[in-house]
Amino acid sequence: MKKTVVCILTGAALAVSMIGSTACFAEEQKTFTVGFDAEYPPYGYMDENGEYTGFDLELAQAVCDLEGWELVKTPIDWDSKDMELNSGSIDCIWNGFTMNGREDDYTWSKPYVDNSQVIVVPENSEVTDLSGLAGKIVGVQAASAALELLSDGGDQADLAATFGSLQQFPDYNNAFVELQAGSIDAVAMDIGVAQYQLKQKEGYKILDEKLNSEKYAIGFKLGNEELRDTVDADLDQLVADGTFAKLAEKYELTDMVCLGTDEGETEAETEGAQTEAATEAVTE
Amino acid sequence: MKLSVMLEQLSSGMLRSMEIFFLTLIFSLPLGLLISFGRMSKNKILRTIVKVYISVMRGTPLMLQLLVVYFGPYYLFGMQIGGTYRFTAIILGFALNYAAYFAEIYRSGIESMPVGQYEAARVLGYSKTQCFCCIIFPQVVKRILPSITNEVITLVKDTSLSFSLAYAEMFTIAKQIAAAQTTFIPFVVAAIFYYIFNLVVAVVMERLEKKLSYYQ
Amino acid sequence: MKLLEMKHIKKEFDGLGVLKDISLSVEEGEILSIIGPSGSGKSTLLRCATMLEQIDGGEICYMGDRVAYVDTQGNRNYPKGDQARKIHSYFGLVFQNFNLFPHYSVMKNITDAPIRIQKRNKDEVFKEARELLAKMGLSDKENAYPCQLSGGQCQRVAIARALALNPKILFFDEPTSALDPELTGEVLKVIRSLADLQITMVIVTHEMSFARDISDRVIFMDQGVVALEGKPDEVFDADHARIREFLGRISER
Repeated sequence: MKKTVVCILTGAALAVSMIGSTACFAEEQKTFTVGFDAEYPPYGYMDENGEYTGFDLELAQAVCDLEGWELVKTPIDWDSKDMELNSGSIDCIWNGFTMNGREDDYTWSKPYVDNSQVIVVPENSEVTDLSGLAGKIVGVQAASAALELLSDGGDQADLAATFGSLQQFPDYNNAFVELQAGSIDAVAMDIGVAQYQLKQKEGYKILDEKLNSEKYAIGFKLGNEELRDTVDADLDQLVADGTFAKLAEKYELTDMVCLGTDEGETEAETEGAQTEAATEAVTE
Repeated sequence: MKLSVMLEQLSSGMLRSMEIFFLTLIFSLPLGLLISFGRMSKNKILRTIVKVYISVMRGTPLMLQLLVVYFGPYYLFGMQIGGTYRFTAIILGFALNYAAYFAEIYRSGIESMPVGQYEAARVLGYSKTQCFCCIIFPQVVKRILPSITNEVITLVKDTSLSFSLAYAEMFTIAKQIAAAQTTFIPFVVAAIFYYIFNLVVAVVMERLEKKLSYYQ
Repeated sequence: MKLLEMKHIKKEFDGLGVLKDISLSVEEGEILSIIGPSGSGKSTLLRCATMLEQIDGGEICYMGDRVAYVDTQGNRNYPKGDQARKIHSYFGLVFQNFNLFPHYSVMKNITDAPIRIQKRNKDEVFKEARELLAKMGLSDKENAYPCQLSGGQCQRVAIARALALNPKILFFDEPTSALDPELTGEVLKVIRSLADLQITMVIVTHEMSFARDISDRVIFMDQGVVALEGKPDEVFDADHARIREFLGRISER
């Protein structure tokens, strides 16, 4: 029974992709350029074979397969992401891109990952909750969602005011070395990234108390709804045929994705639907 | 990631770094000479423009200049930039910046030439162009070679600034591997690569200096 | 025929008159020496004749043609392009400090201009250059570089370099002043040998006995004007206060 469904869905997917590809051919859009931070595993990074890969990039590849586009993976410097998008050198930012707080700045796809910002501390740290960070030095990646959250005007600006200082660093590797060396006491980052890092490194823990809960979505240039709608439709397709869930499993993000998964379906879907409504309200 | 894969990736990055290095030299060395002529021009307007240019190029960070060259066309003229412009922008940014430094080095060399050399050439009937090409410039090259070597060695290391435009040269790749593998080994390898590259550059320049040491 | 005529030459540096209305002429085959105290304008006069300095008044004629002059409005008129090249080929200049090209070998120093500028036949130029080097006593030095030579040898190469262009008139600007005393002799000997070949020469020098011995005519310059002019004996033995004072100072050294 299940197999037949898959077959039908795959057939449908093929049909859609053919229509899609002809449509695109007419518009002469043959490439789909995804801008990503190649230092942001598991969403986008360089794999064992030296190829750029990750959950987001494989998802983007699946969309391109549907549309018959050629995927161009363009690593960008995260600080310059807006310039890259606005200047047209990339079609979208698709790389664990937090939409909360940036709702008005981009044309957003549906959120597809339910992410949180968390605090990572050394295992033997005396810090057990957010209030314990008072007077401590906290690291955060430059231009990241965590930084926005902790900066003036962000939801956790009041908490940040209790910190000894907020230290920005260019990538997570640096942050972990500093953490190890004791020059900073804690690092604020996405939970997905935190889990990836902790899988590779011993001696750290994630605080149970989270800074916030937020959504990842694909950011398109403001006003580029046509491309957004196409990609959104493709994502639905990928959810329907199970590709999405399979990729989530592969990257151990099953707990976090929020587009119709097998496990925790109800929770994810309701949450996804809510945000969807919210996004639509914003875009309209 | 296996070490062999890492080395392979970093080597391909090294090739791109070398590409930046050689293209920058090919464009900036002649451009620098032209700029130095502008700097020494009798035309006050031209001289002032060139002076400002050199001052800006030497007075602002190269990384910032790379960003301006790459994103400038969009912000200034609203042009949409394509994917291939990234590499062009890097070469353009490096060449413009290094030409400014080379221009000042050329100028110091040209101005240090004794006036007697010009006079001897003039009395012997050399035209201004012949005098510069045959008599002055070859001697200038010998004089400025140590300063040029300095800049060239700096350039090898400066190619790593291309990471600010996320161009996949060696340093960018080292950063990416380091992030994915959560290890510092790629940086160690990158450091060794840069060092060896510079060792080769230093040896080549030393040979060149030796070759020109047949006179004083 | 008068090879060179300079009429009423004026030259100022920063409003200070260095040459004040000087006139002189040089006949073909003549050897003219210019003597005088430092700062009297001797070298400036040579530099004006060879167009390294531009005059502020007067006119310069080569081979009877006026080639450079200052008109009544005070505008300088100097030849350009081919005309300038042609006039430059009339004269050669030997500098006080040689100004050889250090990156060229002795041979190339001598042959480069005839080949590159005058477009003469290479073999012919090389043959002549070897003859010149033989005359200078430097046959074994043709592949040496200037930095490997003594001052006297350098100056002899410089003379050969000037002669290689076959100038009609050869100027010497204090050719031995930069040399150690024991090296002046070899250079003076070479210049003397040129005199025997009837080459027209104008020599600014401090070597008084040499000037007296070699010259057909001597000019004594003082404070930007020609103070005395005549045959060597007439000038050196003249009962003239300034030259007696000058010669007296020289012999004290």
